Amino acid sequence: MLWHNFKYSLKVLLKNKILLFWTFAFPIILGIFFHMAFSDIESSEKLDVIKIAIINNEEFDRDMFSKEAFKMLSEEEKIFSITYTDIEEAKELLKEEKITGYLLFEEGVNITVNRSGINETVLRYVVDEISSNKEIMTEFYKEGNSQMNISELKGNIKDISKENLSYTMIEYYTLIAMSALYGGILSMFITNYKLANKNAVGKRTSISPAHKGGLLLGSLLASYLVQVVGLSLLFIFTIFCLHVDYGNNLPFMILLGLIGSLAGLSLGVAVATLIKANENTKTGILIAITMLGCFLSGMMGITMKYQIDKTIPLLNKINPANMITDGFYALYYYEGLNRFLMNIISLLAFSLVMLLLSYRGLRRQKYDSI
Amino acid sequence: MIVFKTFWNVVKKYKGTVILYTVLLLVFGFLNMSTKDTQTDFVNSRPDIFIINKDKDGLLTKNLISYLGENSNRKEIKEEEDSINDALFYRDINFVIYIPEDYSKEVMEGSNPEIEIKSTGDYQASLASRMLERYLQIQTIYKKKETDEENLIEAINHNLKTSAKVEIASSLDTTKTTNSSRYFNFASYSIMAVVIFVVCLVMSSFKEKNTKKRIIISSMNYKEHNRKLLLASFVYSSIAWLLFILLGAILLKDILFTTRGLIYMLNAYLFTFCSLTIALLISTLITDKNAVSGIVNVIALGSSFLCGAFVPSEWLPKGVLQIAHALPAYWYINSNDLLKTIEVINRESLKPILINSLVLIIFSVLYIILNNIISKYKQKIG
Amino acid sequence: MKNIVEVKNVTKEYKELKAVDDLSFVVKEGEILGLLGPNGSGKTTTINCILSLLNINKGTIKIFGKIMKPDAYDIKKDIGVVFQEVAVFEELTVYDNLDYFCGLYIKNKKQRKEYIEEAIALVGLENYKKFYPKQLSGGLLRRLNIACGIAHKPKLIFLDEPTVAVDPQSRNNILEGIKTLRDRGATIIYTTHYMEEVELLCDRIIILDKGKVLAEGSADELKELANMDEKITVEVDHIKETVIEKIKYFKNVHEVSLERNTLIVTYKKGKNNLSELIDLLKENKVTYSKIFSERPTLNDVFLNLTGKELRD
Repeated sequence: MLWHNFKYSLKVLLKNKILLFWTFAFPIILGIFFHMAFSDIESSEKLDVIKIAIINNEEFDRDMFSKEAFKMLSEEEKIFSITYTDIEEAKELLKEEKITGYLLFEEGVNITVNRSGINETVLRYVVDEISSNKEIMTEFYKEGNSQMNISELKGNIKDISKENLSYTMIEYYTLIAMSALYGGILSMFITNYKLANKNAVGKRTSISPAHKGGLLLGSLLASYLVQVVGLSLLFIFTIFCLHVDYGNNLPFMILLGLIGSLAGLSLGVAVATLIKANENTKTGILIAITMLGCFLSGMMGITMKYQIDKTIPLLNKINPANMITDGFYALYYYEGLNRFLMNIISLLAFSLVMLLLSYRGLRRQKYDSI
Repeated sequence: MIVFKTFWNVVKKYKGTVILYTVLLLVFGFLNMSTKDTQTDFVNSRPDIFIINKDKDGLLTKNLISYLGENSNRKEIKEEEDSINDALFYRDINFVIYIPEDYSKEVMEGSNPEIEIKSTGDYQASLASRMLERYLQIQTIYKKKETDEENLIEAINHNLKTSAKVEIASSLDTTKTTNSSRYFNFASYSIMAVVIFVVCLVMSSFKEKNTKKRIIISSMNYKEHNRKLLLASFVYSSIAWLLFILLGAILLKDILFTTRGLIYMLNAYLFTFCSLTIALLISTLITDKNAVSGIVNVIALGSSFLCGAFVPSEWLPKGVLQIAHALPAYWYINSNDLLKTIEVINRESLKPILINSLVLIIFSVLYIILNNIISKYKQKIG
Repeated sequence: MKNIVEVKNVTKEYKELKAVDDLSFVVKEGEILGLLGPNGSGKTTTINCILSLLNINKGTIKIFGKIMKPDAYDIKKDIGVVFQEVAVFEELTVYDNLDYFCGLYIKNKKQRKEYIEEAIALVGLENYKKFYPKQLSGGLLRRLNIACGIAHKPKLIFLDEPTVAVDPQSRNNILEGIKTLRDRGATIIYTTHYMEEVELLCDRIIILDKGKVLAEGSADELKELANMDEKITVEVDHIKETVIEKIKYFKNVHEVSLERNTLIVTYKKGKNNLSELIDLLKENKVTYSKIFSERPTLNDVFLNLTGKELRD
């Protein structure tokens, strides 16, 4: 009986194009959009070469120290790309936004920029640095300490930054979460067919001598299979085409995918049994729950997840989308497994609660009204 | 009248969706309102940093911290590695500095103790790193000369005081225009979703076999009926546009009541109209009502992601922007982005915006022509 | 003959409505029992109660002599139900739908295949096996719905308004099919509000109204209850009150009514009634366009019992 039901549930699910669109195609399409939109964000956050102009007047010409320093900065450190020009052209370049700012040496350095901003600030810091180094040199020269090489005297800084700081990964993790939870549409759809009070086919099956538990199990296995196949395709696509990094622990990644799908499945079953509405409304509710969950776990802006984690942690502790997202985050960014396992346990607990809540409705065979 | 009534009934039935996209726009608009005051003086950008200080009593350390405090935002987060790591990952802070125990003492004793840092590697972090490097360099240099802690501090601070004069050439306050451009850019998503979703659903329910038969046999002229339906869609789209403008007026206030604001609104109207023509084309193409939701999501999300409605277009890869040229949203968003930086509004500065508008109109006309061709073709075979 | 179904004092209440009210009846082996009643008279609710789909407030239900419960699987395997609404998978073909539903009863694949082919032949869907429900017309869809309900050769079959909104060709096909099922030995409970079908098909009829049994018996027995044997309808141009009075004095006349230009005369017994009436009308120079005599229908019975028509 289980096999009979499994086979036909599979046929039913695979024939429904709308269901397949939402569970198979939509996450992949969204993934492509993410990739197109976000692939440059992180590199554009790194400091670019700043384009500036320096007014090539007499004072600048005399200032050997600054001249040398700017030459270093542009040719060796590649912080600036410098145009040496006259004031009129510099003004024109600034107006056309071709340069961040220009420097005029007139009783010290004068910087002219269009606005306050990060490139402008860097420009100012560097100019200040040169001035203060110049001051130091003059000072030490006066005192007869002329052999000192400034560039060799440095603080002792050690960078202990963690790797895997690519925060756009969160976007893809929420995508996996969305896909896993959208799987609930499949289980909801197939569960509806088993409920005599929701569906005519359900009535027909419940007057048959087939045991309800076996029927349901067969159907849910079919929906789980379809769901897991969909999720695997998404994994393969994101890993090989979009180069998403899920950390290095493949077995745990698979485990999280499987348990995340289970959470989606149980959510779908719960919506099917607990909510009194027609199928379209139920699909709407399921999509709304999923999208809200993904919103809170950072799909529409990753800071949302951080803010919720920090200020209302409880909200994200009960949000299955976040449990999945956070699980991948833990695999990607954390060394220990505690945080990851915590998410796995939460997902299992969530699934269990959903299934327990649905249990009464599922077991039920006699109704007060149909 | 009956056509209008039916139209509104369908709108009423799907009001949840309309509300959803409106709320999304509102939340986005609200979260993006930066409340900075008008800037005419130069203000340094300040990276967000976090300092873990194990050398509480050191005078040198105190001076370092006060220097960093003046030039960056010191964030308060939990002093746990997990919280720090999370904060770095989500860019709540850009830079973490660990000052070891007895730092000041060891510096005064002539050694160069190690300071550990964690960085996000973005430009804010580079700035913070530059800041720290400069300070430590000056400290190391003066340590060669000064042996007294207080003298050393004074020498450092004296040197750090050097600061160049900065002038701001542009007179335009871009904070407000940035806000409104962002709002209108995001609105492209809401407009597309709301217009395409509802118009497609209305059209397809009028087109459903039985309804269509009933309409054809009803006393109303079929062409007349179609014209009314188009008019109703047009009125609906205009109302949706008005709704988003009103919300914009609440969020953005006075900027909308300027010439610039007027151009923002006109641009949005052109885009709304273009979305309507897309909606009509799609409704001619599709046969299954259940497919509407999927199509709307793909089209609206796609054009928003590719054209810079969510992510500012200057951050998008060049290749993506090339593709985006084929979508109306790109030209609409481009106009909004231009409006952000135009200083004086005159014939010359408006020229690129006029060109963008023209492209939007061409797109609309193209969709209308396509729609006519396809529906004629469909009538023949259907 | 055995009692296949026994319904005893069953009451089903919704919040404000008593859908089934202290209902008792039995269904005997091999008969076609018609449950006749207007829309909302409790026919479908009664079936759902018998099938243990609905909780009942009072009463007992026995099928094949055993108490019916949701987990009475040995009873369920011999029941077939054709619901009023079409209950099939949109995503499966005609054949797959049958295979799925039949598979819930029959495990043996070879036997199942035979049964399905038989069911398909019975409803005449041989040319549509690979079709999806969406591609079928209303009548064909109804036939599929029936086939799904009876493919496993049940001993007891419930048919809930299987002919609603069905074209005449499909209707004949369906009615023939039901007769075949009976001839194979199945017991059938048939609900409808088409009295012609009931007269044609049913061995015994129960007339329901407001969840109660109004009358029970064969079609002829019920008509006797109505106290009439013939009904003559005349479309007159004009008729005087005095003529109507004269008609009333005929010895067999039960009732005379005139509504606009339609004169209806019902008789208790029928012999020469028509010729007598024609003669009288001639004598009194009443002109008429149409005159015809008919046997009373179950609608007349229902009208007689409740004062309202079966069909709305």
